[in-house]
Amino acid sequence: MVSKKKTPKKKLLSFQDAILNLQKYWSKHGCIILQPYDLEVGAGTFHPATTLRSLGTKPWRTAYVQPSRRPSDGRYGDNPNRLQHYYQFQVLIKPSPDNIKKLYLNSLSSLGIKHDEHDIRFVEDDWESPTLGAAGLGWEVWCDGMEITQFTYFQQMAGIECKPVSVEITYGLERLCMFIQNKKNVFDLNWNDQGILYRDVFYQSEKEFSAYNFEYANTDNLFKIFDMLEDEAKTLTEKKLSLPAYDQCLKASHVFNILDSRGVISVAQRAEYIARIRELTKIIGKVWVESQI
Amino acid sequence: MSEFFLELFSEEIPPKLQINARKKLFLEINNFFEDNNINIIGSKVSFSTPNRIIINFSNISKEVIKKAQEIKGPSVNSKPEALEGFLKSQNITKSQLNLKSTDKGEFYFYKKPEQKFKTQDLLKQNLPLILDKINWNKSMKWGNNQMFWGRPLKSILAVFEKKKIEFNFHHLKASNYTFVDKDFEEKTRNFDNFKSYQKYFKSIKIILDHDKRKEFIINELIKISKKNNLIIDFKENLLDEINNIVEKPKIILCEFDKKFLNIPKEILIITMQNHQKYIPTFDKKKILTNFFLVVSDSNDLKGYVKQGNERVIEARLNDAEFFWKRNKSQNLIKQLSDLKKINFFKGLGSYFDKTQRIKKLSSLISDELMISKEKIEIAASICKVDLKSDLVGEFPELQGIMGGYFAEAQGFEKEVCQSISEHYLPSGLDSKVPKNLYSITLSLSDKLDTLVGFFGLDLIPTGSRDPYALRRNAIALVRLIVENKIRIKLRSIINYSLTLYKEQGYEFDITKVLKELNNFILDRLKNYSKEKDIRSDIIESSILSNDIDKLYNGYKKAEILNRNINKEIGQDVVGIYKRSSNILNNEVTKNKLELSNSVDTGLFKNDFEKNLYKKIQDTKKYFFNVDKNDNFEDSLKELFKFKQDVNSFFDNVKVNDDNELIKKNRLELLNLLCKSFDNFFNFSKIEG
Repeated sequence: MVSKKKTPKKKLLSFQDAILNLQKYWSKHGCIILQPYDLEVGAGTFHPATTLRSLGTKPWRTAYVQPSRRPSDGRYGDNPNRLQHYYQFQVLIKPSPDNIKKLYLNSLSSLGIKHDEHDIRFVEDDWESPTLGAAGLGWEVWCDGMEITQFTYFQQMAGIECKPVSVEITYGLERLCMFIQNKKNVFDLNWNDQGILYRDVFYQSEKEFSAYNFEYANTDNLFKIFDMLEDEAKTLTEKKLSLPAYDQCLKASHVFNILDSRGVISVAQRAEYIARIRELTKIIGKVWVESQI
Repeated sequence: MSEFFLELFSEEIPPKLQINARKKLFLEINNFFEDNNINIIGSKVSFSTPNRIIINFSNISKEVIKKAQEIKGPSVNSKPEALEGFLKSQNITKSQLNLKSTDKGEFYFYKKPEQKFKTQDLLKQNLPLILDKINWNKSMKWGNNQMFWGRPLKSILAVFEKKKIEFNFHHLKASNYTFVDKDFEEKTRNFDNFKSYQKYFKSIKIILDHDKRKEFIINELIKISKKNNLIIDFKENLLDEINNIVEKPKIILCEFDKKFLNIPKEILIITMQNHQKYIPTFDKKKILTNFFLVVSDSNDLKGYVKQGNERVIEARLNDAEFFWKRNKSQNLIKQLSDLKKINFFKGLGSYFDKTQRIKKLSSLISDELMISKEKIEIAASICKVDLKSDLVGEFPELQGIMGGYFAEAQGFEKEVCQSISEHYLPSGLDSKVPKNLYSITLSLSDKLDTLVGFFGLDLIPTGSRDPYALRRNAIALVRLIVENKIRIKLRSIINYSLTLYKEQGYEFDITKVLKELNNFILDRLKNYSKEKDIRSDIIESSILSNDIDKLYNGYKKAEILNRNINKEIGQDVVGIYKRSSNILNNEVTKNKLELSNSVDTGLFKNDFEKNLYKKIQDTKKYFFNVDKNDNFEDSLKELFKFKQDVNSFFDNVKVNDDNELIKKNRLELLNLLCKSFDNFFNFSKIEG
């Protein structure tokens, strides 16, 4: 690095403090603070508090941390920027408030990122999730060239038009903290103020899960499990049990992600599996919306 | 005379949507004034920033007078509802109507008196309709609202003659204020004229005029790069994008660690331009440097912006370096079998199957182009291996280029590396065409293989859709051949390609593929010629005599005739041919003659015939000897030499001699003359 680094006098925000500050901030602005969903999901969006709650007309404001898994992004802990398990901080507000940009920018201040000292840019990024049958318009937010947040106005979820429209704000916590703590390697992040690093918490997990995701996951079994989960989800939607059905759908989605990272799914098959998950999501979304009246 | 001023303030609208909306809005407002005959003497401008779309028309007449007119109503005999409807639509009572007879019977008429409208009122009525006319390529809803806009619209400022125009647009109410800070939307400010609006934003360093903003950015970039002895390769698209995501641009010179300059420069440039919207710089020798320019939308009071952007590029380049080091040492030959796992296309096998086919195709072409069979076969075998690499996964646009670098790192010969690197070229109409014979061979083989396969599956593009980029492939094929003056027999290569597919178990309708692909490629040659401003009748004629086995000749001859068509030589050559062929065709049809394609010199009655015949013989010899010569300009000159003999012949000899034998012999002579011209090409379709 060529330009001189400035060493700020104040203590840098630790990873856990960043989470606490965001929770406190959004709680103050009327969001209920939820805990992570207790299943493996690919992103905070998959939490039913976002997917299902963004449907229907009832107002909803929530914020929560969601551990997220993307098996194919694992690098055995060797890569300074890539993880198969990482954290998102998710905010969902329905209907989207008029002053949401201000709320968001002030949330950055709560992390020590002052608007007038940085180049904060809203860069076009339209979001689509084929498995969720979802689409939205919005931006990725850049802070001094670094993408720190996804900012999306949901237009469609589970194939259903969103009325009213929710706004989703997703902070990539590791990236955000690398920015705040001025770290080049995610494993060097300070987890707390007492010397515990991200490495101490997650390095072994990254190594072992990468091996599992890429080498050892039993694909024959996983293919069978996928089919079983799909059947179960269908049965449950017939019983109008949208939430348990959605759980099966999330599990199936994760199984698919592992199969994908094992490299046993061909291009054509990939599209087929994604379509199968999307079909499930659509039925579940419909059952959920009907249950909301 | 007064001023109209409109500002639409929203959350950040992406560049393309923003530009379209600005242009459309300007057009619609201009149309509105014109349609209503509202006189404008002053300027008409439209500006935009990511958050604001601004329109200002000045010196507009405050009133518009609509002349008196007589409006025809319903017939006296029509149902009462028709009359009621008419009265309602005109907002009048029955007593205001007159009766008049026409040739279709008696009708109600209304004499509408001269009317005066206030421009202000017309604007108020029409602005909501105008705003709804903006057609967004992508639009969205937000909150509980029903309005669609590019991104949430927050306020409408509309002023005419210093007074606000009050109208409702969906859930919003137009007024005379706007939000002055785009992010927090806390402070609002009233404006009643455009001058004060401009003055205010100038004072807070925001450049509203997108053209001036771009000019400012360019000037700053030049200034900073000059000061640091750097050179910028300006990319218009990138500049436009950058210009439309900032409102108060500030250029910051940043740098990354020099060690990254060891990574292939294409990776560095793509990372900077495409991913980060940075501007790379070069030194005097046009070599990439470790300095880059960031167009920030902030003043960087504490240096955080520079530091942050440098860290971002460092993280990205670290990633790229990691992949580069790993990928370049992965043995290309050993990875060949991995290609079996990547599907090329359903029904056309894997990429392994494809490389096996293009290896054999390249081998065949290498014989014609006289290059090393061994080298091109190696290049063809490994040219797709980079598809498996992390780097191509990250930077798909670098496929081929990365393969070339990997091959170089692993010590393959120069021609092998270069041909792998360039085998996707040319990728578009403006793209560079490879000049190296190895690159040409590999690119041709790859493209032909793709075209034959998709035509075999009957996935021929129709209409404007081209989902498999087959038109682009065929255009590339045409450019490779024409621009490199390559003479290869495409039909035999296509045939061979079909055999190769068959060997792998993919059997196609050979006759159909050949015929359709032939037409498809010729259509691309026509388009290509059109781009080069060659008259369509000329290229059509050329194609008639030169099929896809003679693509280059076909194009070149058309190009040369096109260049000369309005000169004496072109006019005369076409003229001679037309005059002769017209007489010949008329007589042959009229008398139902069958020509023998030979002349009986014993029947010649004069020197004019003899001379013409001798000239035909000379020309025949000429074309026999220069058959493979590509100097088609000379060929045209050779035909031009007929001028004197042909003119003398027509001036002095009567073709329709009373003696049938002599007449026929003279027609045979004309027939041979026309055939001489066919050595260039068949001129019959040339107009004029």
